[in-house]
Amino acid sequence: MSTAVKNQLRVCLLAVKYNIMREMLNKVTFLTNIGFMILNNATFILQWVILFHLKEDIGGYTMREVMLLWGLAASTFGLSRILFARTFSLPELIINGKLDTYLVQPKNVLLCVITSATNSSAIGDLLYGLILLCAFCFSIERLLLFLLFTITGAVILAAFALLLGSLSFWFVRADTFAQHMLNSSISFSTYPDGIFHGAARFLLYQILPVGMVIYRPVHVMVDFRLESLLRILAYTVLISSLAVIVFYRGLRRYASSNLMEARM
Amino acid sequence: MNVIEAENLSKIFRVRQKEKGLKGSVQAILRPRIQEIQAVNDISFSVEAGETLAFIGPNGAGKSTTIKMLTGILYPDGGRARVLGIDPVKQRRRLAYEIGTVFGQKEQLWTHLTPYDNFRFFGAIYDIPDPETERRIRKLADTFELGPFLNTPVRSLSLGQRIRCEIVASLIHEPKVLFLDEPTIGLDPVVKEHIRSLIRQMNRELGTTVFLTSHDVGDIEKLCRRIIIVNSGRIVLDDSMEHLKYHYLNRKIVEVKLQEEAQLPAPEGVTFLKRKGSHVKFQVDTQKLRINDALHLIDAENLEDINISNIPLESIITEIYKAEGREEKAV
Amino acid sequence: MKKYRVIYRSVLMENLQYAANIAMGFISFSIIVFVFIQLWNYMYSSPQELIAGYTKSQMIWYVLITETIWFGTPSHVVTRQVAADIRGGNIAYLINKPYHYTLYCLAKYTGGWSVQLPMFALTALGLGAVLVGPLPAFHPWTLLAVTPVIIAGITIDAVLRLCISMISFWIEDSNPFQWLYNKLLLVVGTIFPVEIFPEVLQPFFKFTPIYTVCYGPAKLIVDFSTEKYAEILLAQALYLAAACGLMFFLYGKGVKKLYVNGG
Repeated sequence: MSTAVKNQLRVCLLAVKYNIMREMLNKVTFLTNIGFMILNNATFILQWVILFHLKEDIGGYTMREVMLLWGLAASTFGLSRILFARTFSLPELIINGKLDTYLVQPKNVLLCVITSATNSSAIGDLLYGLILLCAFCFSIERLLLFLLFTITGAVILAAFALLLGSLSFWFVRADTFAQHMLNSSISFSTYPDGIFHGAARFLLYQILPVGMVIYRPVHVMVDFRLESLLRILAYTVLISSLAVIVFYRGLRRYASSNLMEARM
Repeated sequence: MNVIEAENLSKIFRVRQKEKGLKGSVQAILRPRIQEIQAVNDISFSVEAGETLAFIGPNGAGKSTTIKMLTGILYPDGGRARVLGIDPVKQRRRLAYEIGTVFGQKEQLWTHLTPYDNFRFFGAIYDIPDPETERRIRKLADTFELGPFLNTPVRSLSLGQRIRCEIVASLIHEPKVLFLDEPTIGLDPVVKEHIRSLIRQMNRELGTTVFLTSHDVGDIEKLCRRIIIVNSGRIVLDDSMEHLKYHYLNRKIVEVKLQEEAQLPAPEGVTFLKRKGSHVKFQVDTQKLRINDALHLIDAENLEDINISNIPLESIITEIYKAEGREEKAV
Repeated sequence: MKKYRVIYRSVLMENLQYAANIAMGFISFSIIVFVFIQLWNYMYSSPQELIAGYTKSQMIWYVLITETIWFGTPSHVVTRQVAADIRGGNIAYLINKPYHYTLYCLAKYTGGWSVQLPMFALTALGLGAVLVGPLPAFHPWTLLAVTPVIIAGITIDAVLRLCISMISFWIEDSNPFQWLYNKLLLVVGTIFPVEIFPEVLQPFFKFTPIYTVCYGPAKLIVDFSTEKYAEILLAQALYLAAACGLMFFLYGKGVKKLYVNGG
């Protein structure tokens, strides 16, 4: 590993460490945030108990699979918001000219930006997913796959957020658009894909990353297929590269034209 | 040797306009009006190594924009900049190792961490080995007198202490040039003075070139030997401090309220600006008449209220600006 | 009262400026609605089937109405902003203004939803008409009669959220409590009608805010009856009085604590 890469990693790790230190400053808040997030997620078990009471099979899923789906969704969003929380609020940085600080540092701007914050409640999400996995459908292979997909999912989500967030370099209202696309992804990812048909399926697999973040991984965990796994990995690389390219395009625009009068 | 060179730097901003009221809001969505603002207009100057330069002007004059172009945050629309021979546009990262920046209105520190942890972080950013970082923290903490609060979270520090930490954080990699954008904004006079003396000391001890923007006349008077005044994106004056002082900073405005109306004598150096009953306002040229001599003109027994002030920077700039305009016409 | 009207008007103006942002909210809204339509389409084997006493179209319209109220109200005004005002010390400036801080928040909130709610209601109407079809046995007069119930429900919700925000006077972060309240409303009253839960729980629900905030208005629109109408209006009156009392009490206590301890 070259020293430049090593130094960069050292800075990123230090940033993540400092982020978590900051969140832990107030231990009570830190722990209640985590605990309440778990409780918060758990209320949805009620929804599914009711729904499965009405019908035994929903979109080809039983209670077990829905809990696996929910668990993966929670852990993925959790991890993404622990490591790359800033990608989700990137428009705010762009619009208020807060990227300046990172531009005068001699390190990779993108990495420094996305690792510059964290979210303590996201730790609750991550844990909740693991709890669900252990409670409803534990096996060693499944745990390993679950961890792998949590990582690929977190990267895909961050890349998706980065892609949408970078639109703020061009469009003023892109921030709300990004927010809604992300929210929609979250809404979809806690329902079985079997209930969606036609245009919805297309939206979920081709436009929103939900298919690659949640559905396909769940299928792989239920019924292992190497081809699906490889597809997910390829998609992860692809969307990340695209997001990086778009971000740097936008950054060039940031530096060549001021986006808002506030930055004068 | 020239450390900073700017040749015909220009920058144009495009700003959306909005009309008043509800109709304007609707219009702004449907058909936005874009106005172009020439923030920096054909600016050229150079700064030598070890110099302390004040770059001043009123709000919106183009100070920050210029700093941003010199540090690689903004690309110029026209002209060329070189800092330490490096092109900020093409080699932003290489330049970053050589320069330090402090933006008075923007924080680069992690507010929940202690200054010490922050400095360690900046050490890592600039690839400085830990023991070396330690050594520099000790030294800088000493110079900037951070000892008592080196381990207090930044958010609990006063603004003055925080700015000192900001400056130290941007000195940790021993930059050759330090850009300070309004470093004393919002500080009280005592703290301002303290920060200024620290900057002066740093400039002397480390030989760091200082490029400072401000709209505080004190910053310039106390710190800089050279001054560039900008207004509406243009350089209005580029001169030594000595010269500026001779011409513009040697006047005081005295405003008095007398108990009974009285005629004041008008020796050389005193110009009356306003006389309205017992209310008198006059200007003293301190090179012609010492201020205490001027005060002797007033009968202390008859005095109800007195107020002595410098000419505000804004009026100095306006004055210089107007003078420039006249000269141009004369030519 | 006049000053609150002025606050209301300014927020209305401001919100109109952000109309484009609100319009963007339709994306999330449409998607949620869409998910539920798909879900219930799947759950009902035939349109005539009854689940918890609801036909398929009643069930979907119920969710459409509760989600409209959910999306059409800018709850951050009475939650995050209030918590931030209290924690950030901003409140010290706001309490010295010649208005009551909590009423000020309510006026702001009302200004927000009077723009948003009609917009979302229209979207919901469009989505419902196209994707579900008209509600059987629905009379436009019902809507008129239920409007006060909707407004009362929204106001009770805001007051309760304000009460939770007041917790910020004592603990650093009141958000987790908001989440719990949110989830209670969402899981129990918004995505299902309460009848879907076991019989034994029914009387208990009548005492929760669910009954007055989301269940009441939606139930009355999809299945109007005069007794239910009277019952819900009465419950809302009691709830509103109690919630306001609690809010003023907590606020008074909180401000007193502020004066004692400093901001």
